[in-house]
Amino acid sequence: MKCEAVLLAAAIVLLTPLTAGAREPTDDERSVPPSPPPDDPVAFVVPAGLYYVTDTYVGDVVATTGATTTYSTTTVHESTGTYARILDTVGTGATSAFDGRAFNGRGELTDGRALAGTYYENFVLTANGYLPVSIVFFQDDSETRRQEALGSPTPPPASTAPTGTLAPAVTSGPAGTSAATRSAVTPAPSPRPTAPLAPARPALRAGVALAVDGPTLSSAEVLRGRLVQFWPRAFANDVAIPVRSWRVLSAEPDRISARSGGAEPFTAQWIRMPPPTVRWTLRFEVVTELAPAERLETQISITVRSPALIY
Amino acid sequence: MMHDEGGTAAVTTLLVLPLLLIVLVGALELGVLRAVAHRAGAAADLATIVAVGDQDQAELARTGTLRLSADASEIARDYFARNLAGTSSALASSAAAIAASADIASFPSAPSFDPRTGTRYDRPTVRLFASVPVRTPGFAALLLPSVTTLTIRSASSPR
Repeated sequence: MKCEAVLLAAAIVLLTPLTAGAREPTDDERSVPPSPPPDDPVAFVVPAGLYYVTDTYVGDVVATTGATTTYSTTTVHESTGTYARILDTVGTGATSAFDGRAFNGRGELTDGRALAGTYYENFVLTANGYLPVSIVFFQDDSETRRQEALGSPTPPPASTAPTGTLAPAVTSGPAGTSAATRSAVTPAPSPRPTAPLAPARPALRAGVALAVDGPTLSSAEVLRGRLVQFWPRAFANDVAIPVRSWRVLSAEPDRISARSGGAEPFTAQWIRMPPPTVRWTLRFEVVTELAPAERLETQISITVRSPALIY
Repeated sequence: MMHDEGGTAAVTTLLVLPLLLIVLVGALELGVLRAVAHRAGAAADLATIVAVGDQDQAELARTGTLRLSADASEIARDYFARNLAGTSSALASSAAAIAASADIASFPSAPSFDPRTGTRYDRPTVRLFASVPVRTPGFAALLLPSVTTLTIRSASSPR
């Protein structure tokens, strides 16, 4: 009986699976270079007056009805995930510190005075806080020809709708009561309504840098065997904007960290030397926070070198 | 008439043996010297290669081109001393002293011109010249200099 108990205990011990916990000597060789640890959370600085955009700028509109020409802005009820705030509200002919900085410009009345309206600054929310990406001018003004104005009773206030609205929290007043100063000028009226202007979209481009905030490069030399980090970057009107994601379209490295990613860089390593005079190319597809539906492509050519004796 | 040729052989041996010993000692010493020269050359080659592998990362991120780090010469000097240490028993001076007196120059960017050799480098280059004094007791026994100085040179670049 005792012998059987011992045999039973031995069988249990031997048949119970145990994890060896041993270290594979090739683990280090197979390991993919670790991604840098995420940054510590930073307290966001929220710009004053910021609100979520629910109506997006489409274009400037100039319409002439009778003796009155109205300058307004059309929007579309759409949320692009951006934020905005009012920078400045200006009257007719008044100057602003933001003149010349709006991507859609600031128009003029027929007498050359600048239009009344409001400057808005747009932001995108990134891991590092609210990043300003553009300034837009919402025009809101009108003018009436003097001859008709003098020859007829005063027309009712222009019926310019408060189209300069980026969000429900922000409303431009009616044309007659807004910052716009209605003016009477003598030039000949526009014979027909001006078609809405095409929306001025920021010029987007992508590039590849060797540092998180480094300049984009068209080519780079790398040393054989070195881990090299490539940072896909994106720009709107040459202003850096956050990259939502990137994807490798083609690459020849012997080791890579991932085929796609977001805020982290693409890490690559070349072990094999290319044939003489051969350059390899890394191609990326980049999606930005500003235009998530648009896919940007960029590439960088790579020359792999290795230390060698001259004599 | 019988001749005693054994005596002739003994005399001949006595006359030739020193010459044979001289040749043997000289050959052995030359062999040792050649081995030390080979090791010192390898030490210099590895030192310059290590120095070339240390690149200026900021410059690489800014321009995408390889450029030697600012302390490439010191890196080469340090590794030359480390590599020579394995041969120190054959050296007439310490490895550190030999490395300290070595003429090491770095040419961080290319193209560049080496005024000492007249060489034009198309890549960032580290160049090393060193005089390595080697003990040669065999030569001393033959009334030759007891220390023979080897001149070592090496240059590396990323290619």
